[in-house]
Amino acid sequence: MKKYFLVRAMTEAQARNRNQLFPFNRSLCSSSNSSDLALKNVTKSNFEPALAELRIHVREADFVSFDLEMTGVTSAPWRESFEFDRADVQYLKVKDSAEKFVVVQFGVCPFRWDSKNRSFIAHPHNFYVFPRQEIPGDGPSYEFSCQTTSLDFLAKYRFDFNACIYEGISYLSRSQEEEALRRLNSVCNDESSESLSSSKSVADTQLVRMADILFAERMVNKIGEWRAGLLRDTNEGSEFQGSSNDTVQKLQTTFFKMRPALVLNALTSRQLRLIELVIKKHFEDLVYVHATGEISCPQPLVVYTDSTTDRDLLMREIKHCHKKEAVTKIKAAVGFRHVIDLLSTERKLIVGHNCFLDIAHIYDKFVGPLPLTVEEYVSEVQKHFPYIVDTKVMLNSDSSFLHLVKKGSTSLSKAFTLLCPQIASPSVSSIVLADNPHIKVEVQVGDKRFSNWNSGAKHEAGYDAFMTGCVFAQACTRLGIDFNLHAPPVDLVHNEKLQKYINHLYLSWINGDVIDLRTGKCATDSLGSTNLKNRYPKILFSNIVILWDLPSKLKAREIKECMSKVFGSDSVTSVFHLDETAAFVQFSRQEFVSCFLELKDTLEQKYDPISVLHPLSKILEGGRTRAASYELYKEICSSPISEVLFSNQAEAVGIEWRTRLLEPVVEVEKQEDKASTFSQDQDRKETSPINNAAGTLSCCHFPTDELVDSFYPVQAQLSK
Amino acid sequence: MESLSACIGDANAATFCCYRPLHSTFKFLCHFAITVVANVPRLQMVHKRFFCSKIFPNAADHHFRLRHHQNKWLIKQVTKSNFSEALGEIRTHVSNSDFIAVSLQQTGAYSAPWQRVLPIDTAETAYLKAKRAAERFQVLQFAVCPFSVKASKLIAHPYNFHLFPRDELKIAMPSYSFSCQLSYLTTMAREGFDFNACIYDGISYLSRAQELAAADRIGHSSPISYGVPSSSANSVADSVFTERTKSRVRHWVNACKDSNKKTEDALISTLRKLVSGSELYGSRPCLIINVCSERQVQLVLEMLKEFVDVVPIVVPARGGEVQAIRVVLTSSEEDKNLLEKELQDMEEEHNKRVRGFREVIDLISTSQKPVVAHNSLNDFTFIYSKFLAPLPSTMDEFKSSLLLVFPHILDVNHLMKAIGPFEKVNNLPASISYLRRKFFAPIDMEVSHRAEADNVQIHGRNVLRISELFAKLCSVLKINPETFEGDYSHLSYALQCHANTLNPSFTSSEDPIDEDVRIWNKNSRRISIDNLALLWGLESGISAAELKALLHGSHEVFSKEFDVQMVDKNCAVIVFWTPGFSDRFLKIMDSGEIFCESLKDMISEGSAAASYKTYRSVCKLGLWEADLADALDKALEKSKRLTEAMSEEDLSVIDWNNDKMINLDDL
Repeated sequence: MKKYFLVRAMTEAQARNRNQLFPFNRSLCSSSNSSDLALKNVTKSNFEPALAELRIHVREADFVSFDLEMTGVTSAPWRESFEFDRADVQYLKVKDSAEKFVVVQFGVCPFRWDSKNRSFIAHPHNFYVFPRQEIPGDGPSYEFSCQTTSLDFLAKYRFDFNACIYEGISYLSRSQEEEALRRLNSVCNDESSESLSSSKSVADTQLVRMADILFAERMVNKIGEWRAGLLRDTNEGSEFQGSSNDTVQKLQTTFFKMRPALVLNALTSRQLRLIELVIKKHFEDLVYVHATGEISCPQPLVVYTDSTTDRDLLMREIKHCHKKEAVTKIKAAVGFRHVIDLLSTERKLIVGHNCFLDIAHIYDKFVGPLPLTVEEYVSEVQKHFPYIVDTKVMLNSDSSFLHLVKKGSTSLSKAFTLLCPQIASPSVSSIVLADNPHIKVEVQVGDKRFSNWNSGAKHEAGYDAFMTGCVFAQACTRLGIDFNLHAPPVDLVHNEKLQKYINHLYLSWINGDVIDLRTGKCATDSLGSTNLKNRYPKILFSNIVILWDLPSKLKAREIKECMSKVFGSDSVTSVFHLDETAAFVQFSRQEFVSCFLELKDTLEQKYDPISVLHPLSKILEGGRTRAASYELYKEICSSPISEVLFSNQAEAVGIEWRTRLLEPVVEVEKQEDKASTFSQDQDRKETSPINNAAGTLSCCHFPTDELVDSFYPVQAQLSK
Repeated sequence: MESLSACIGDANAATFCCYRPLHSTFKFLCHFAITVVANVPRLQMVHKRFFCSKIFPNAADHHFRLRHHQNKWLIKQVTKSNFSEALGEIRTHVSNSDFIAVSLQQTGAYSAPWQRVLPIDTAETAYLKAKRAAERFQVLQFAVCPFSVKASKLIAHPYNFHLFPRDELKIAMPSYSFSCQLSYLTTMAREGFDFNACIYDGISYLSRAQELAAADRIGHSSPISYGVPSSSANSVADSVFTERTKSRVRHWVNACKDSNKKTEDALISTLRKLVSGSELYGSRPCLIINVCSERQVQLVLEMLKEFVDVVPIVVPARGGEVQAIRVVLTSSEEDKNLLEKELQDMEEEHNKRVRGFREVIDLISTSQKPVVAHNSLNDFTFIYSKFLAPLPSTMDEFKSSLLLVFPHILDVNHLMKAIGPFEKVNNLPASISYLRRKFFAPIDMEVSHRAEADNVQIHGRNVLRISELFAKLCSVLKINPETFEGDYSHLSYALQCHANTLNPSFTSSEDPIDEDVRIWNKNSRRISIDNLALLWGLESGISAAELKALLHGSHEVFSKEFDVQMVDKNCAVIVFWTPGFSDRFLKIMDSGEIFCESLKDMISEGSAAASYKTYRSVCKLGLWEADLADALDKALEKSKRLTEAMSEEDLSVIDWNNDKMINLDDL
C-alpha cells in the first residue's frame, strides 16, 4: 500500500515541480510573443506541406527522435505498473493502455550531422493528432478513454485541447485502410447495388403533393423536349437552348463523358429526387447522374445515351470514377500515418525516451491491433522499425551519469538539463560536465536556424522529441562516438559502441526490465534501477497468491500475521496491496500457494467452530474473500474491461468462484509438495506447544490465543 | 435526412431517426395530411413548415440561434473562477422560481450502436443501458435554469456550468478515467465548445457517496455540533478531567481578561502564554485542550457551555478522530456571533471546495421544486451516478432512491406524448416547432441575464428550450403552472400524473412495469416481448428488407405476418405478430429438424437465434461487446454453463433446456 502510494506521490510531486518551473502558455494562438522561436506546429490545415518538408528532413537525417502525448496511461489503478508485474503482465498492461487511450500530440524531430559546422541540425515538428472519422464506416476508433489526471497534467502544461480536437490530423491504421478498401471493393463489385446515386430514397419518394405532381409533369415535358431536340438534330444542340431560354434558366446543355447532358442547376434536393424518379420512369435512354467531387461532375446531370450498351458503358465509367474517388478519399484519410510510414520505410534510427508504451501506441494506431503476446509483438515491431534506441536505457547504464544524478530520476527534462546545459540554459556555463565535449545542436524551424533554441514548453511532444534527440547525441559522445570522424551520413545503426543499446527498451521502468526487441527476451538492467530493486526481495511469481474482496480496512501487516500463524513465521515474504480491495501475498515457498488455496476452500465449505476460530478467519471474514494464483492477475489484465476497483473488475470479468485451486496439471507436483509441507510441518509440530489435538479439540478449554497458534495446515487437513 | 438530424447536436434526437424505416415517412405524411384536412385554411402554411422542419430539422435550430442573437439572451457560463458568485445568485433564483430545468452535455452515450436505448428495450433494459452510459461517460456541461411561468410569460435564469472531474483534493476522486465518444466530441466542436476552458477551469465535484468515503481523508477543522452527551453517570476519572480542564479554562479566561487591563512586560506575557498553553486564533486568544477520546470531547464541550464568551472548535486528526479542542475567547456577545459567522463561512467555503458543483445539485434537491428535463432517464442516471451514489442494479431501486432526492421530475418528452401520442418528435427543436405548427401557444420569454458582452453564448441553450417547451405544453394542456406556490402537494392533477414518469425510452414508457415494447415509432402497435426473437450471425450489412425477403415463406412461421428490424450490422430482431410463432421459430432453429434451404444455409453460415430473454440477460450481465452478436453468444454460453451446473447438482430435475442441448449434440 505504502509503496503504491509512494510511486504516485513521487510522480505527483514531480508534476508539481515542473509546473512551477514552466507556467508557459502553450496554446497556438497565444504564443505570439515567441512565435518566431516556436517549434513547428502541424495541424490538418498545414499537414500536406509539412509532410513534404518532413520527408526531405527524415531522408537526410542520421536519426529521428520522437515523443507522444496521450489522453491517459492507465485505465484503472490496479493496472498501474508495479514491482509485482511479470513480463507478460507488463505487456498486457501496455497493450491495454495503447488500446484504450489515444495520441493527441506527436513530436518528430529529425537530426542531421552537419560536418561543416560540426553540429547537429534538428527539425522539431509538433503534430496535433485526433482520430476524427473522415470516412464512413468504422473509423479509427468509436470512442476512447481519458484519464482525468493525464488531462489535468496536460492542462497544467497548457496543452491546447481545442487545437487538437478542432484541427488535429486524423489517421487510419494499415489494417483499417485495408479494411476500408476491401469494403469499397465489395460494394463496387456488388452488381445489385446501384451506387449511382441515392437510389434508395428515390424508391421512397412518392408524388403526394399537388406541387410535386405538377413539377414532375413539367420536368417530363421539359426533358422530353430536350431529348427530342437532341434526336432531331444532334448537330443543332443550340436550338433547344434558344427555345428554352425564356422558360427554364436552370437547364443547360453540356457534355458529360462525350455525351450530351443537361445540367440541373439551382434545384432543391427534393426536386432533384423527383427528376431522378421521372427519368427512371419515362426515359430509357437518359441517365440521372449526381456525384460530388472533382473527378466526376460536380453538378447533377441528365445524360443522353445512344443505346443500352452505351448506357451500361456510361454506368460502368461512372462507377469507376466513384471508386477512384472513394479510394482517394481513403488515401487521404490515412493522414498522419504517412509520417509513421515515412519513418518505417526510411529505416532510420528511431530514438525515444522510455518509449515502449509509445511504440505500442504507434503500432496500435498506425499499424494494426496489438498481438496477444509480447514475443509476437516485438517481432512485428521489428518488421516496421528495425532500429530503436531508448535514451533512458542508455543513461541508466552510464555509471558516471548515474553518479551525477545521484538518487535523482533519469527523467527526460533532468537528463536534458544535466547533459545538454548549453542548450537547456545557454547563459549558465556548466561546470559539472566540463570535461565532456558538448554537442552543438542547431534548430531549424522553417527557413530560420537558431543555435540557441529553447521554446521552453516541456511536455509538448515536439519539444520533448527535441530534448530526447539532444540527450541521445550527447550520450553518444559519452560513449566515445565521435561524429567528426564519420563522413555524413553517420552510420549510427551499425556503430559498434551503440550495438548493445539498439532495440533494448524498458518494458517496465519500475522493475528495470529491459526487453530485447530482436529476441523478445527480458533482462534486468545492470545499473539503473538496481537501487530500486534492492529494496525488495526477488519476486517469485509462482509463490504468489492474489486475494481480493478482502474485509475492508484489512492491513497488509494483518494479512501477514494471519498467514504466519498458519504457515510459520517466515512463510510470507511480502504482502502488497494492489488497491483497497485486493492484495498479493508472496510466500517463501511455492507449496504454500496450493496449500493456502486448498485450506481456504476447505474452511469455506464447512461452518464449524474450527473454521470460525481459524487464524485465517480474519482474512475470510464476511465470506466474500476470493483467492487464486498469480495467473489470475494475468487473466484479468487481459480483459478489455476496466473497473476502478479490482474486486469490481473481477466481478465484471465474470468470476463466480471463491477460490480457484491450481490446475490439475500441477496436481502431480502438488502431491509431492504436500508431502514436503507435511514433513516440514511435522518438524514444526514438535516445537509447537499444543499438537495434533486440533481436530478433536473443543475450543472452550483453551485460551483462544494458544489455540490459534496451533492451527497449522496439517491439523486442518487432518480434521477434514 | 438521417445525416441532417444527426447533425443537429442533440444526442437523443438522432437516435430514433436512424432507426426509422424510410417508408414510414410516407405513412407519416398521410397521417399528417388527414389531420390537416380539418384545418383547411391553414393547409398551405402548415405543409410548408412541415417540410421545412422535417427535411431540415436544423432549420429550427438556426431559427432559434437567430432569434437568440436578436434578443441577446445570455446563458451565464460558469467556470471555477465565477462559481462562488454564480452559486449565490442561483440560490436566490431557485428559491424564487417554481421550476428548475436541467440539461446535460455528456462526452458520449453508447459504445456501440446497439447499446443505445432502442425501441425494443423494456424499461429495465433501457435503464441498464443508461446506467452503463452514466458510469462510462462524463458530464462536461450542466445547464440549470430556474424558471417560473406567470401568465404566458416565462421568466428564466439560465446557467451553464462547465464541469471537469479534476482531482482537486488529491484523493483519486471523483473519476479515475472516463470515455469519450468521438461523434459527441465532434458535435461539441461543431458548436464551438471550448475544450480548453472546460479542462483548465471546469468545476470539479464529489458525489455524496464519495464525500462520505473520503471524509477521513479531507480533515478540516469545523465547529462540529456534538450532540448532548449521554446522561450516563460520570465516572470519577471523568469528573476529575472535567474539573481540571474547567479550572484551567477559568484561569486562562481570567488571565486573558486581566492582561487586557494592565500592560505587562513582554517577557512575562510570553511566559504566561507558554504556561497556560494560550495561542492566538486570528486576533483572538485561544487555548488548546488535548483530548484522548470521544468521551472527553463530549465532556469538554459540555463543560464549555458554562462559559458565555468562548467558542469551541474541534481540531480533527487524520482518520476523522478528534485530536484537540481549541477554545477561542471572544470579547463580547457581538464578537462571539461574529466568530460563529466566520466559522460558518469557513465551513461553507470548505464544502464548496469539497463538493464543488454538487452544491448546485444539493440546492435543487433541498428546494424540492419540480425538476424539468427532456430525456430524464439519461440525465438522471448521470446525475445519480456523478453526484449522488453508484447506480443501483435495478430500475425500481433507482427510481425509489432518486425520488427521495428529487421528488418531482417532469419529462417534457413525456408531456409531448399527452399531446400527440403518435407523433414521435424526439428532439427539442423539432418539438418546439411541432408545437408552433399545431398549436397557438405564445410564450414570452424573459431571461435574467442580458448580454453585456458582444459574444452571445449559446452553450447550454437546450435548458432554455426545455423551459420554453414546458411553458408551451402547460398552456396547450391547460395546466396552470402558477397554481402551486410553495406547497407542491397541490401540484395540479394533470401535472401530477405526468410527474415522475421516468422516460426509459422514447416509446415504451407508458407503463413502467410494462413488458411490452413498441417496435416502430410510427405506430402505436405494441407487442409482448414473448413474440420477439433475435437472429444474429447474419451476413454483415444485410438490410432488414433483404432479410425479410429471405425469410418470407421459408417456413410456416414466416407465412403469417412478421417483421424484421436490424439492431446492428449483423443482428436482427424478428417480430411475430402471431403468438407462439416466436417459440416455434426458436425451436426450429435449435433442433434443425424441419426447415427449408434458405434457413439451413443461414444456420450453416453461423446464424443463431434466441429469445428476448437472452437479450435481457446480456444487459443484466453487462456483456457490452461491440457487436450484439458476440454479446448474445456469450450470454448463451453463460446460461448453458449455468444450466449444466444445475443439472449436475440435481439430476432429478429435468431441465428442458438441457434436453435440447442433447438434441443439438446429436446433430
